[in-house]
Amino acid sequence: MFVYEKKLQYPVKIKNPNPALAKFIISQYGGPDGELGASMRYLSQRYSMPYAELKGLLTDIGTEELGHLEMVAAVIHQLTREMTPEEIKRAGLDTYFVDHTAGVYPTAASGFPWTAASLQVKGDVIADLNEDLAAEQKARVTYDNILRLSDDPDVNNVMRYLREREVVHYQRFGEGLRLAMEKMDQRNIYAINPAFDR
Amino acid sequence: MNKTLRENAYRYGNLPDPAPLAAAYVPMQKSSEPTYESEKALARGTLFPGLDLPFMNLVNDELASTPLTEMMAIDFVTDEMELYLDTHADDDEAFALYQTFLALKQEARERYVRRCGAVRQEDMLGMQEFAWLKDPWPWDYSPRMGG
Repeated sequence: MFVYEKKLQYPVKIKNPNPALAKFIISQYGGPDGELGASMRYLSQRYSMPYAELKGLLTDIGTEELGHLEMVAAVIHQLTREMTPEEIKRAGLDTYFVDHTAGVYPTAASGFPWTAASLQVKGDVIADLNEDLAAEQKARVTYDNILRLSDDPDVNNVMRYLREREVVHYQRFGEGLRLAMEKMDQRNIYAINPAFDR
Repeated sequence: MNKTLRENAYRYGNLPDPAPLAAAYVPMQKSSEPTYESEKALARGTLFPGLDLPFMNLVNDELASTPLTEMMAIDFVTDEMELYLDTHADDDEAFALYQTFLALKQEARERYVRRCGAVRQEDMLGMQEFAWLKDPWPWDYSPRMGG
């Protein structure tokens, strides 16, 4: 089960509200490479994994991504603090505001609502881990792009932290794939799917 | 190994020899050493200098030390060590470090709870009031609140 801790993994303290930044950072909440998709991908993939290392890794990284989800939400919440209708229009957040006011809703920056179609649970050890490696890279690039667009130091500290976590997770998933492949038939690692074939 | 490689050996992991074809390979991290101090680790987003690969080489400064950031830093180290142990379960040195930080984690949370309020349900054991509803909630911040 999950137990809530009343704290964030890394502090979010944004001094200056800025709805224009919230408009694109929301993508790491509910976009195609965002933290909601990341946590659902890993926490869902773990059930078919046959090896303890991968059950542990997907559980621990999936749980951490839930923590990142609430950090991104905190960034959005603070960037949209005490907005006036004038500021909302000037920032271009009006199209979001009309549907969600100053609430935090899982959507991509493009306006497309969060969808499970941006993740996969293939039920195959090698395919799922390769998806996870790609997912970490895509999330890393999204943070790179946010850092290119944002000049707020309070926001960028949080984005740099979250970006670095993607690099660490990439390393761990790569190691998980190594450990899994070492348990497979060394003459032909594609002979069977150990998550299904007995 | 050339000189630079040797000097930065902690940055380079090992690959299998020979490696099967048609497979993606990430080198195994060889050791949990060296590590950053816990507060630097939290600021940088990793405990391990070998994995610290920042965008445009810009990095975060360390956070001002408060009971909250002390607790966060130690929790961060235990979480980072747990991920390392998921793929290095037989690394005794890493497991010993994990144990050390698990003990510190307990102390750091108790310090924070005494000053600032409950983090988890069990923190409320013996409290005089239902402190769960006490501000601040983690996502709320405005410069007026200070901290």
